[in-house]
Amino acid sequence: MTAGIESVESARISVETREAVRRFIRTGSIFLALAILWTGLAFASPYFFTQQNILNILLQSSTVGILAAGVTVVLIAGEIDISVASVQALAATVAATVIITHGGSVVLGIAAGIAVAILCGSVNGYVTIYARVPSFIVTLAMLGIAQGAAFLVTGGQAIGEFPRAYTVIGQGKVGPIPVPVIIAGVVYLLLHLLLAQTAFGVNIYAIGGSRNASRLVGLRVERTIMAVFVLCGALAGLSGLILSARLDAAHGSFGASDLLDAIAAVVIGGTSLFGGSGTVVGTLGGVIIISTIRNGLVLLNVEAFWTQVVVGVVILAAVMLDQVFKGELAFRDLVPGLRHG
Amino acid sequence: MIDSPAGSRHSEPIVQAFGIHKAYGAVQALLNVDFAVYTGETVALVGDNGAGKSTLIKILCGALQPDSGRLFIGGEEVRFSNPRDATSRGISVVYQDLALVDGFDVAHNVFLGRIPSRWLRVDRQRMVKETRTVLAELTVSLPSVRTPVRFLSGGQRQAVAIARAMHQGGRLLIMDEPTAALGVQEGTKVLQLIENLKSRDLAIVVVSHNLEHVFAIADRIVVLRGGSVVGSRDKAGSTHSDIVHMIVGADMGGSE
Repeated sequence: MTAGIESVESARISVETREAVRRFIRTGSIFLALAILWTGLAFASPYFFTQQNILNILLQSSTVGILAAGVTVVLIAGEIDISVASVQALAATVAATVIITHGGSVVLGIAAGIAVAILCGSVNGYVTIYARVPSFIVTLAMLGIAQGAAFLVTGGQAIGEFPRAYTVIGQGKVGPIPVPVIIAGVVYLLLHLLLAQTAFGVNIYAIGGSRNASRLVGLRVERTIMAVFVLCGALAGLSGLILSARLDAAHGSFGASDLLDAIAAVVIGGTSLFGGSGTVVGTLGGVIIISTIRNGLVLLNVEAFWTQVVVGVVILAAVMLDQVFKGELAFRDLVPGLRHG
Repeated sequence: MIDSPAGSRHSEPIVQAFGIHKAYGAVQALLNVDFAVYTGETVALVGDNGAGKSTLIKILCGALQPDSGRLFIGGEEVRFSNPRDATSRGISVVYQDLALVDGFDVAHNVFLGRIPSRWLRVDRQRMVKETRTVLAELTVSLPSVRTPVRFLSGGQRQAVAIARAMHQGGRLLIMDEPTAALGVQEGTKVLQLIENLKSRDLAIVVVSHNLEHVFAIADRIVVLRGGSVVGSRDKAGSTHSDIVHMIVGADMGGSE
């Protein structure tokens, strides 16, 4: 459909306009899919389109969303971070241990949680840059390290009963809006401005688009990649704190499904796995789509295990559609039998 | 002697290199190379594959560090540890692979590495304005400075890379094989572009395999062979075959 429109118009419209339209359609399609999903679910379940349920979806989206936002920035820079969900668990258990087990202040606990997350991000960045190990491997190792450390910190136990000053970041509300939703909103706004408006943002796209060109024009490639991993780690830590505050508990197995959801959100949001393109706005759409699917399947009384299957299928569909959008594939190529027809 | 200027109008050396050595493991890429470029001249650096041309220009532009030897810019000794250092000392480079980001538009590529900001925000207006100005000065016309460079032809992409080098405002412009990847027509256009640049107060070093192009634009031709400079000839008074003999190392008409 889209390909048809483009080929008809390409004769008259400049490349520049066509690019803008293509990008608009790509981002727009995410929100169109979301609108269709919401409309369908509103008809399927009377409970879906209520203020309470929509706020619920946004609340579910906020912690995964903060993880996914960090992953988006890392992917734009041409790297990947698959350790985010483990780092999230580690930050939560560290904060819980400081506050509950050792009776530290809430501020100290939060600082410790974020600090350990930043440390994880720094190690990811350091090994990726200076040991020149692909970040997939580095962060796979970190996934194991942080997950194990998270279990060790609490001795495998779940610890809970945080003071009120801590739980407010997960359970508090401003009017009807949950605090995590507000925090996630601020994170997205700031990251959007960073990527779309600042020179640092442009440099991140440049480094992801062409590492070699960036180096030759004198961009500080290593420093930027380091910053991106640290940012992603810090966001994972923030997400862990919010999640533990919301559930009033911290445990090493925290957010086990969040990695799949976060990566799915980024991919659905149209961020290239090869670096150099993507937006947090797209990721935001992807996150809400994933949360909506989870929420909808519960409302429709579908067995919980189906969610992972559906999310996986959605990832595949999204990457295949992306190939079509990029003009590297026609719809008919998706059906092998039609290729030569 | 080797580095004597091509004519009396060239007096000030912009860049001088003395006794440059560079080895890659057991391979001696450059052997005691002296090289100088003077204000207003266009020097072609020629030589066979593996003669050391790329190594020499990478050292001049900070992408490689010599094992030994000294480098002077405007009479002052310098040491480059990366391309940024060289750019800040007035050396601009058009790399053979052009160093463009395909997904970026023309303006972003011209400003790559030096994106201007106002109040933390990218100053797009200034980027577009100055890109148009520099393209106009080069008499290059592109569909739009907002076009992603992946949609441009080889010659247009070359022009974008040259525009970036000009916009950096250097005193020495180094071009690595500017016409190698281009067809005849586009190659001719790029040669015209270089010809336009020569009227400025600027020194140019062009690395090229194509002797026809070298003779079209260079004032002076420096020949490398086996990692050493084997000769420097003014274009006036040299013939294709003189240069070819120097490149391949045949006895007759060889080095001085």
